[in-house]
Amino acid sequence: MAKTPAGIEIPEIIPDKCIGCQICISKCPVEAIKLTPDGKAWIDPEICEGCGQCAEVCPVEAVDLDRTERIKAGKRLRDKPFTPVSGQVVSVYIEIRNGKAADVSWELVGKARELADKLEARLAAFVLGSDVEEFCARAGSLGCDEVHLLEHDTLKRYVSSLYGHALSELAHKVQPEILLMGATSHGRDLAGVVATHLKTGLTADCTGLDIEEDSGLLLMTRPTFGGNIMATIFCENHRPQMSTVRPKVFPMPGLNEKKWKLIRHAWRPPESSVPELIAFIEDKSLLGIDITEYPVLIVAGKGACSKDSFPLLEELAGLLGGVVACSRPVVESGLMPYERQVGQTGKTVAPKLYIGVGVSGAIQHRVAIQGAERILAVNNDPDAPIFQVADAGIVGDYAQVLPELISRLKAKVKNHE
Amino acid sequence: MHIVCCLKQVPDTADVKIDPETNTLVREGLESILNPYDLVAVEMAVRLKEKHGGRISALCMGPPQAQSVLRQAMSLGADAGILLSDRAFAGADTLATSYTLAQAVLILNRKTPVNLIICGKQAIDGDTAQTGPGLATRLDYTQLTYVTAVESFDPKNKLIRIKRRIEEGQEILEAELPALLTVELESARPRRASLPELIASMRKDIEVWDKKKIEGDANQLGIKGSPTWVRKMGAPPPRTSGPRFEAAKGLREAVDQSLDIIFADGFMAEELGIPTGVHHGKDSRGN
Repeated sequence: MAKTPAGIEIPEIIPDKCIGCQICISKCPVEAIKLTPDGKAWIDPEICEGCGQCAEVCPVEAVDLDRTERIKAGKRLRDKPFTPVSGQVVSVYIEIRNGKAADVSWELVGKARELADKLEARLAAFVLGSDVEEFCARAGSLGCDEVHLLEHDTLKRYVSSLYGHALSELAHKVQPEILLMGATSHGRDLAGVVATHLKTGLTADCTGLDIEEDSGLLLMTRPTFGGNIMATIFCENHRPQMSTVRPKVFPMPGLNEKKWKLIRHAWRPPESSVPELIAFIEDKSLLGIDITEYPVLIVAGKGACSKDSFPLLEELAGLLGGVVACSRPVVESGLMPYERQVGQTGKTVAPKLYIGVGVSGAIQHRVAIQGAERILAVNNDPDAPIFQVADAGIVGDYAQVLPELISRLKAKVKNHE
Repeated sequence: MHIVCCLKQVPDTADVKIDPETNTLVREGLESILNPYDLVAVEMAVRLKEKHGGRISALCMGPPQAQSVLRQAMSLGADAGILLSDRAFAGADTLATSYTLAQAVLILNRKTPVNLIICGKQAIDGDTAQTGPGLATRLDYTQLTYVTAVESFDPKNKLIRIKRRIEEGQEILEAELPALLTVELESARPRRASLPELIASMRKDIEVWDKKKIEGDANQLGIKGSPTWVRKMGAPPPRTSGPRFEAAKGLREAVDQSLDIIFADGFMAEELGIPTGVHHGKDSRGN
């Protein structure tokens, strides 16, 4: 371990491991790290103050630093084997908007059941709103042991401060180990309020959740740096361990024939000013859809940039529970709004399945789809660069390929309408 | 009238490139920029100031080099730039960040009462969108997230009317000040500073506030005040290309073979209701 003249231990780059990603350079608070001509990071010992942030962010463990201080939390836990503590609670917030529950809430109930079983904990659902008791039975039927219901007239419409206060109070009473919420606009708005009230850690937009076997901690995995890096985060000393999870990451659970109980809670709303709803402009068509939230993206490129292609793309998307997105030329042609654009100047996406239709795959586009789990490309140009990153490719005209793809998928997918 | 803009300096993730030979990320000279959402927040503040007068304070927590984003905000019309910089602030997660910012806003508020805080919806490096709600909660300001437009602003009667985006469409809300907005990219198209404005901004002073100045509780700052820890980071595995099938040589075969590869190992079988254990190439007729 290197030391500065002042005796501070400083990290060193292991050149064989360094991939030259430069994340450490952007993170270094004192600009001590530079890129050498051969594309490796180098730490200037004269400048480095040994804070260790470079070691923390390095995706390939190329920074040699004794990180005892930083990771001792994890190590200490590993010293004593984890045993479940009785009476613990895993909880899910059931998001209800306009008299409908968000699907992601039920998906989370399914996942939370798994987590609760690993911890030998009870599973609780939090149902908040006005006239929402009907949702409790659904929560119970999907595997919750108890459903906590908090009804009040002021909760008719979602208001950050009121819901934040009510859910924080419920969490305070029930003392869950884990609290999960959907990463919708409602859930993300609320989670930040609740975590701040409860002074606990919150990990946003997770795509993976698990219980670490030897510590019993919740491991939360999320994409970061525009989807180019996956980070696994934990929250050791604060409870509940809070996480928001993107819709459709986990499957919808099946019915669970267990007993459950309903627990009603009274609540007194805080004195706070409530924003008044002046108008609501419904727009389900094009705006308001966040393509990053969908597990499947059907992406139209220049080669499928025509009004005729859209019914086919929409049908394919519907079949797979996805949504239609596009590359830059399609936005420039005016066929789709900017919000649907994938790419360097659009959105970076990490769907489970990406299907590119007539997308050539310029580097600006490819870089934004790195995080996709699987990629299928359809293009009539056999040399289109998209094929370089596709798990499978079909060389052909979309007008021929898409109808066949749709009919073969229908044969394969059981639960389409 | 006093507006505070909260800024973050981020690595320019749009700069990432792929090495065509190895398919790995190259970040040649990855630059630090003002978070694009925060640039929109500054633009919105400047437009409100142009209409209603008053003062804009730009606030940024970060290392010394982050002062460049404050200069940028000042070149666009912010009156003051305050850098929250202290070794004790380093390694902060969103809970510690919102605490540090809230302390600074409370200090600003003593001198000139704050009517409005504008933040970007999220930062492009972390994408959490948590700091805004955290800050609003700590200060007990009206929280208005995903704002796409300010419809009207009436500091005299302490009212603001905004449009915000949710899944089903757009809401128009009227709320009491002080309020905190987090803004979407399309809410205002940022202007470019003129050369004289740029030069003038270089001459302006940036205040640097440390933990003493913000009267911070050491246990709530930086790594110490952050409940979340990063266990590991990893790059998604590099992509390799799979086979290409020519539709001209047999459309059905090309489609079936591709689908077999895509849905191999039970991929998405549960979500889509694809029966597992059955060879995907065969349909009910045994083709």
